[in-house]
Amino acid sequence: MSAGRRRALAAYGLLVPGALYLALFYAWPTVQMFAISLQEGSLERGYALTWHWATYGQVLTKFDTQLLRSVTYGLIVTLVTLAVGYPLAYAIAFRGGRWKNALLFMVILPFFVSFLIRTLSWKFILADEGFLLGTMKSFGLLSEQFRLLATPVAVVSGMIYNFLPFMALPLYVALEKIDRSLIEAAEDLYANRALAFWKVTLPLSLPGVFAGSLLTFIPSVGDFINASLLGSVNTTMIGNVIQTEMLTNNDYPEGAALSFILMAAILVGVAVYAKVLGTEELTG
Amino acid sequence: MSHTDRDRDLDRAVAQAMARLPRSRRPLSRRDFLRFAGAGAGAAFLAACGVRGTSPPATTGPGTATGTGTATAQPTATLPPKAGALDMANWIAYIDKDHGKSTTLIEFREEHDIDMSYSEVINDNEEFFGQIREPLAQGQSTGWDIIVMTDWMIAKLIRLGYLQTLHHDALPNFEANAADKFRDPVFDPGNAHSVAWAAGITGIGYDRSLTGRELTSVEDLFDPAFAGHVGMFTEMRDTFGLVMLSQGVDPLQATVDDARNAQAKLIEQRDAGIVRSYYGNEYLDQLATGNLWATMAWSGDVFALRVDNPNLEFVIPEEGAMRWSDNMAIPVGAEHPTDAHLFMDYVYRPDVATRITEWVWYESPVRQVPEMIAADAAESGDDILESLAASDTVFPSAEVAASTHPYKVLDEAEEQEWKDLFQQVVQGG
Repeated sequence: MSAGRRRALAAYGLLVPGALYLALFYAWPTVQMFAISLQEGSLERGYALTWHWATYGQVLTKFDTQLLRSVTYGLIVTLVTLAVGYPLAYAIAFRGGRWKNALLFMVILPFFVSFLIRTLSWKFILADEGFLLGTMKSFGLLSEQFRLLATPVAVVSGMIYNFLPFMALPLYVALEKIDRSLIEAAEDLYANRALAFWKVTLPLSLPGVFAGSLLTFIPSVGDFINASLLGSVNTTMIGNVIQTEMLTNNDYPEGAALSFILMAAILVGVAVYAKVLGTEELTG
Repeated sequence: MSHTDRDRDLDRAVAQAMARLPRSRRPLSRRDFLRFAGAGAGAAFLAACGVRGTSPPATTGPGTATGTGTATAQPTATLPPKAGALDMANWIAYIDKDHGKSTTLIEFREEHDIDMSYSEVINDNEEFFGQIREPLAQGQSTGWDIIVMTDWMIAKLIRLGYLQTLHHDALPNFEANAADKFRDPVFDPGNAHSVAWAAGITGIGYDRSLTGRELTSVEDLFDPAFAGHVGMFTEMRDTFGLVMLSQGVDPLQATVDDARNAQAKLIEQRDAGIVRSYYGNEYLDQLATGNLWATMAWSGDVFALRVDNPNLEFVIPEEGAMRWSDNMAIPVGAEHPTDAHLFMDYVYRPDVATRITEWVWYESPVRQVPEMIAADAAESGDDILESLAASDTVFPSAEVAASTHPYKVLDEAEEQEWKDLFQQVVQGG
């Protein structure tokens, strides 16, 4: 056996643990879930695999509003976190100086408290008669009927708050590793600062934009905590529907079919996005 | 100060401290924690149990929907000897608990020399059913000897043949002390498979300072003046039940068409923006903080909150209200049925039942309890006990009993149709 061949085999050997792990904990549950989505029956009679593709059509028409709403909320959350996160990451990467680490630490500080607790806290802060709204109402700044909780604004804001670090951190990493001499070169070549940003910094930070958008968009489309704690019946997202189908209604085929529709929708969305941004640039 | 005086003072202090805690059958934190864990746990759960058929073929025919379901529950002809161990699953805050210790449990363990574990793991009937159905379907042990489920779920478990038949000769206290209305319930004729733990009423709770008027009717939950501040339940049977009553339909006789009419009314209420949301246990917290002005409510919960906020009221609407009971049962495959019978019988001792009721504030199935609480209240002069003793919702008067309605026992097809209709309401449009 030649040395080259042995090296090639060794490379495959190194892949084995990861591949096994994926097969066991990703591929197997996914296949099983897919099989469940094609079953028919009820909890009491039992479910049988009947290749019942119609479930997909049924849930699409039944829950089209919630699917559309989830994608819309996800897009809003991604755009707003990008608009807020980019200047934040830029400031830390380029102007952070010796405070860089401290500032980064502050970005991830909320993670030290459970996601659930943080969202629940907002529920108390935004309560109709709570400190914030209650005080403003008693000063006549808001009408008695005004409320934030149980509105789409509360749900989307909750998600923006919760997912902002997922956008800011990849952006920071991308901005941080930009070679400053490239920007200096642009300025030496008579680009003003705006043009240097547009022609150099922004394109070089696109991998961060891409990664941040994925890390924000995917979990926010599937999120159900914010909608269930801060929202109302008119802000039900697809995650809430899947949760109810799986855990309350015990209608596993519908829940599984919805999960796969969601997965497919996200994959297609991401593929289009990658195509638009250009794949070569994204790999850095 | 005598020993008993001191004890009573301590009891009183504890009762007052307890009253300040929001009390509920299914507290917010745990429920929400489970929701949070839901996505991952659900997947793991599915992977672990697969989706095999769960019910024995004998129970799928329409004829078994009457609730007698003796088909596959294989009762032991005679009870085996006592095992000295017992595992019980119950809802949270549903037993007396003083500094984390339940006198009821401690005394039971000592008296019968049984190593009993008591776990507050039930948050939702359907959810708990999902957790135990796989071993049940295979006739294996679920790990629980006693489970406490709401009446309609008991009916479903019986229909599926998932409960053991009780040995009534091992339940002398039940025979002697159970109040008549807790005997021979519609969902379990002859108490063949279950005995009640506690009962309550689903009516309307509201904050008078926020509504600005008294509420008397289910229609008040549809008042546009309260838009955005009305709460309804995710419990299908409660919500459909109240709405059916407002439409002049007896929930016990309701047909799928009645469910459809109730659905239409609920959708109208939702689309007019009157409903804030559909709640499980967390409605209580929303009522306490003033986000909800008027809401469907469970009797004992509101009664407990009133100690802190006298503006809160619980009413049985003039159209009527729903009543339910949570019941102890022994699942098939349970390993310690004899010990389970001992505990079931133990809590039917009047002194034990009285102690539990003074802590949980739901109706006890033991007939002596109202008198004994009244006696305790008179003796101690405790306001809280007195208001408990005087409550005609915790101890329904004949009038209240007449205006409350049990859930209908639905067969599988009916249940599926109702569920589909109801999901279209609560999943939003």
